[in-house]
Amino acid sequence: MIELSTTKRVILGNEAIAFGALSAGVSIAAGYPGTPSTEIIETLMAYGKIYTEWSANEKVAFETAYGAAINGAFALTTMKHVGLNVAADPLMSSSYTGVEGALVIVSADDPSMWSSQNEQDNRYYGLHALIPVIEPYDPQSAHDLTIEAFKLSNKVKHPVILRSTTRIGHIRGPVELKPPSRPILGKLIKDPKRYVLVPENARRNRVEQLKRWEKIEEEVEGLNELIDNDSENLIIASGISFGYVIDAMKELDIKANVLRLSTPVPIPKRLFLKAVSNSKRVLIVEEGEPIVEYQIKDLLYDQGIRVELHGKDLVSRVGEMTLDKVYYAFSKFFGLDLVTEYLEVPQDIPPRPPALCPGCPHRSSFTDLKKAITMASFKPNETFISGDIGCYTLGLLPPFDTQDSSTDMGSSIGIANGVYRATGNIPIAVIGDSTFFHSGISALANAVYTQTPMLVLVLDNRSTAMTGQQPSPSKEIDIGEVAKGLGVKYVKYIDPFDVNSSIKELSNALKWIRENKQPAVVIAKRACALLVMDNVEENNLPKAIVDLEKCTGCSICYDYFTCPAIIPRKDKKAEIDNYTCIGCGACIPVCPFKAISLKGDKPEKWDELWLG
Amino acid sequence: MARVNILIAGVGGQGIITAGKIIAEAGNYSNTKVLIAETHGLAQRGGGVNIHVRIGDVNSPLIPLGKADYLVGLEATEVLRNLNYASRKHTTIIINNYVVRPVLPKVRLLSLQEVLDKLKGCKVYVIDANQIAINAGNIKAANAAILGFLYSLGAFEGLINEESFIKALKYESNIKAFKIAQVIKINGIDINGI
Repeated sequence: MIELSTTKRVILGNEAIAFGALSAGVSIAAGYPGTPSTEIIETLMAYGKIYTEWSANEKVAFETAYGAAINGAFALTTMKHVGLNVAADPLMSSSYTGVEGALVIVSADDPSMWSSQNEQDNRYYGLHALIPVIEPYDPQSAHDLTIEAFKLSNKVKHPVILRSTTRIGHIRGPVELKPPSRPILGKLIKDPKRYVLVPENARRNRVEQLKRWEKIEEEVEGLNELIDNDSENLIIASGISFGYVIDAMKELDIKANVLRLSTPVPIPKRLFLKAVSNSKRVLIVEEGEPIVEYQIKDLLYDQGIRVELHGKDLVSRVGEMTLDKVYYAFSKFFGLDLVTEYLEVPQDIPPRPPALCPGCPHRSSFTDLKKAITMASFKPNETFISGDIGCYTLGLLPPFDTQDSSTDMGSSIGIANGVYRATGNIPIAVIGDSTFFHSGISALANAVYTQTPMLVLVLDNRSTAMTGQQPSPSKEIDIGEVAKGLGVKYVKYIDPFDVNSSIKELSNALKWIRENKQPAVVIAKRACALLVMDNVEENNLPKAIVDLEKCTGCSICYDYFTCPAIIPRKDKKAEIDNYTCIGCGACIPVCPFKAISLKGDKPEKWDELWLG
Repeated sequence: MARVNILIAGVGGQGIITAGKIIAEAGNYSNTKVLIAETHGLAQRGGGVNIHVRIGDVNSPLIPLGKADYLVGLEATEVLRNLNYASRKHTTIIINNYVVRPVLPKVRLLSLQEVLDKLKGCKVYVIDANQIAINAGNIKAANAAILGFLYSLGAFEGLINEESFIKALKYESNIKAFKIAQVIKINGIDINGI
């Protein structure tokens, strides 16, 4: 745990945001885990003195924070950029009602898609919803601007988006922390004329919203800074681009005035007009979409100002900001002759995608499923497997090849609906337990009431594993009972490590669906290996061993099962990397020659930890 | 003020983020600004991972192409995957004598020699960080060994002192690995290249 003091600490940007929220007086924080946002709630949970929760999804997290904020509390909700799409419904209307205490929404965007399905720029939500967007440029400013976001929200009684990115939240650097304040809780407020958005109220709110927006346009002025270097060139740098611009100016010895934008929505109009009044040429450096550029061009037209202006014509719209992108823009804008020398990455190096961990139950689920598809006389090439968002998206990779789509949380079941309607082929939806509760349930209800034949395979590893084993509702609510409650007629449980019975159950389910033309649910229940490892002494684990007499070098264990702990020897026989093996035993039934066995005793409560 | 760019690459689980934390902590003890860009998310275990370490007068987290002063691979192949951060003139490359098999079927590994063949004309040091870590009493201290070697090359000169590293390394085996790796440089043992 980080001790709070005024000295500099080396922390992650996300930790800096969490401590900023504490300093601002946050009392309620709700989020759904998603890279690169997760450490914010985790830090607040570790701090422990305020109410925090991992909600079932981002919409619920948003509403939890909003419900607190309309009753006067200082509330925080955090999610990754695509999570804000899930919460977009209440987001739009929260801007109509405003809030009473403070509501800060952290949208953690992921330019370059390091861990995401797209790189949407959520500053658009600010323009779309009329909610101000505050954008830090490093861990220190993330801390300070979080405090400002709460202040602004409370002052104008309006939600505020704090937009961070991977290179804010996951940058470690020195931060001077301000001490926490007393958490500001709410006091019940009943004001239905404001918060019940029937048309009569909403129409009145719409007018109020625009009045608040005018006030917001004034308030944001002070959050930005004009650095006057007595130049006729003006560089506008939004968010993290500011750091890159400053570094590039130093390195290339460039003189220009710099407008540091921490509120890309709305832009500080007065400050900009002051800056541009002394400038002949303007360069806008922003990551992603031309959101600042649109607003500036709009403002310049209104003011009748013509000035040479560059933005997305010189700064790439694709991927995250880099110094190289700034160098390129500067070389064009300032007419520099820059040569960058660097070595090419060789093309013939083996790829190294992330892998399912040793002991991961999904590996077995995928190999069981593939065998069951054949056993039920389904044709693998004609069976669409709609995947979902989680570690199991790695089922995309060989040797599994068991994901034909994966677009958004809960999409597996919804997409399976459409696949069946279009093709008549029975699809298989693969979804994790946390994702099932996030947004799979509504899609399953849909499949039941439309009587859509599909196999829903729930990979229940007892946690939200991909983001670090956060708890999931599956801890408290049995997924099979949920499915039965929704009207699913065929519900079975399997242990994916119990290969023969799993294949049989999955195959029976597929046959049942073919005969009955209805959805069926099979729950593969076995805990995330990392969750198990958190609860045992790692030095006392059993280990798999290969009997080299029996091993024929058939390669099934390392080429078709691909546990990272199984290594091929030069003679093609298998050996176990003792350092990597956790003794889960998943590989034992995989070997057709019974060459693999376990040595050593199971730790206490071993089976309970895996199957509990 | 001086500025140093170090890119450390390897395989998820090798302690790369920890190495970054140690440098950042040590920088803080020496009152020197350090920014580390980390790779998180997905199931990063077993995947290629890197961190960008920028020390000194820096305001932005990512190293530009060709501008790494040091390119470090805790796994040999991962040096090649990040080679565009290096330039022949400018960059010192440090390779741990260790190749890890990617978790994919029927994959052909590069040998250390094949990796080195692709780095002809570069300034390369090969060290056996895993062996140093084992000698220091903990295989997990390979990252500390790499840091010790970087230190002895002068990577942190004028920016972070040894005392700060010792404080940030915390554990006995880490400190030992850090020190053994420095001696190796001085004695010129186990080093190929240049």
